[in-house]
Amino acid sequence: MKQHKKALVVWVGAVLVLLAGALLAGSSGRTESVQETMRDAVLHEVNQVGLFGLREVNPGMISALLVTAFLLLAAACIRLFAIPRFRYRPGRLQMVLEEAVGLFDGMARGGSPHRCGFLGAYIFAAGAYIFVGTLFELLGVQAVTVHGHPITLPAPLSDVNAAIALGTLSYLVILSGGIAGNGVKGVGKTLKEFSLPISMSFRLFGALLSGLLVTELVYYYVNLSYVLPVLVGVLFTLLHALIQTYVLTMLVSMYYGEVSEQSAPKGKKKKVNAEIN
Amino acid sequence: MPLNIDLQQILLHWMNLAILTGGLYFLLFKPVKAFMVKREEHYRSLDEEAAARLAEAEKIKAECQAKLEEADEEIRQERAKAQQAIQQSTEDQLAQAKEQARQIVVHAQAEAEHSRERVLRDSQRELRKLAAQATKKLAFHADPFDQFLDLAEEGEEYEE
Repeated sequence: MKQHKKALVVWVGAVLVLLAGALLAGSSGRTESVQETMRDAVLHEVNQVGLFGLREVNPGMISALLVTAFLLLAAACIRLFAIPRFRYRPGRLQMVLEEAVGLFDGMARGGSPHRCGFLGAYIFAAGAYIFVGTLFELLGVQAVTVHGHPITLPAPLSDVNAAIALGTLSYLVILSGGIAGNGVKGVGKTLKEFSLPISMSFRLFGALLSGLLVTELVYYYVNLSYVLPVLVGVLFTLLHALIQTYVLTMLVSMYYGEVSEQSAPKGKKKKVNAEIN
Repeated sequence: MPLNIDLQQILLHWMNLAILTGGLYFLLFKPVKAFMVKREEHYRSLDEEAAARLAEAEKIKAECQAKLEEADEEIRQERAKAQQAIQQSTEDQLAQAKEQARQIVVHAQAEAEHSRERVLRDSQRELRKLAAQATKKLAFHADPFDQFLDLAEEGEEYEE
């Protein structure tokens, strides 16, 4: 009991010291109004970041590259150190990995049972990207804009270009499934869903952007920066990550299965209809 | 472009996603899935092996059961045979005993008859002998009445 009390006292003391430090340090002053901050969070017209000195890009692009680098590095480490030690009776990490792979593979099989090899790999990567990318904004990784202002890197998909890229790429994947399954007919089937890339892109963008705007708004005012971010920042972001991952992967597998499914020949259809009548 | 949509950045994102998809497929998805398939195969082979062993065990059990039934039938038949033999033997012994008893009775009857005839013959012979002696005494002694009485007493003693 005494040890618990001591730890509690130390913890409360540390919190108070940090609070006092934050209040005493003050801030360097706002560089932009809340309107400008919100506008820039949507459009990224002002706070652009240099991409290896080649050109100016939205901060979301840097986030996307960092997320990809992190995922590939983690995958490489797992491939080198964890997968060779896999056992028939799995440990915790193995169970998590198998569960993740099995989840997306099962989703692909469920949505498109006749053709699911590539689809499983794609929705696995897309799911990992959306989930980790959304959680990325919790880290608060800092970057410096081309104008020298520090900014916190947002979730990659809160950048409209990233959302459009993922939406259109998913649409292309669906189109490829249609071509592989039905040839020219598959193209027609896919083109019928012409609104799909727009809806997928802006669904992702809207969902991620709303989270970003709320977070920006909360952090803009110091008084809102206590306790509230725990709910707004962590829980909402987790919820977003899960929902958006599920929605996009489910939609892609469903549409992929729909367009790649080989339709019965017309003669047979007529015959079936005649039998029904 | 409206909303700061930039085609070049979209293409960069595509490239990024393509790299990510390929990388995750080769580094994570494929090996993990391959391991899962391998494990599934392993457990399927174990399952098939167990099923084959079970089938073999069932077959052996059925064979043993058949042999047991065969043995039971054999035992039952042997028991019936043994019971029949015992029954037969008992009947034979009984018949033999009856035959022996009958022979004993016949023999005893014959012997009794023979004894009776012999006794009868002996007694007749004795009577004849007594009668001859009495006659002889009557013929040669003075008081025939007393002699007769003496002879009669002697004859009673002899019979006793």
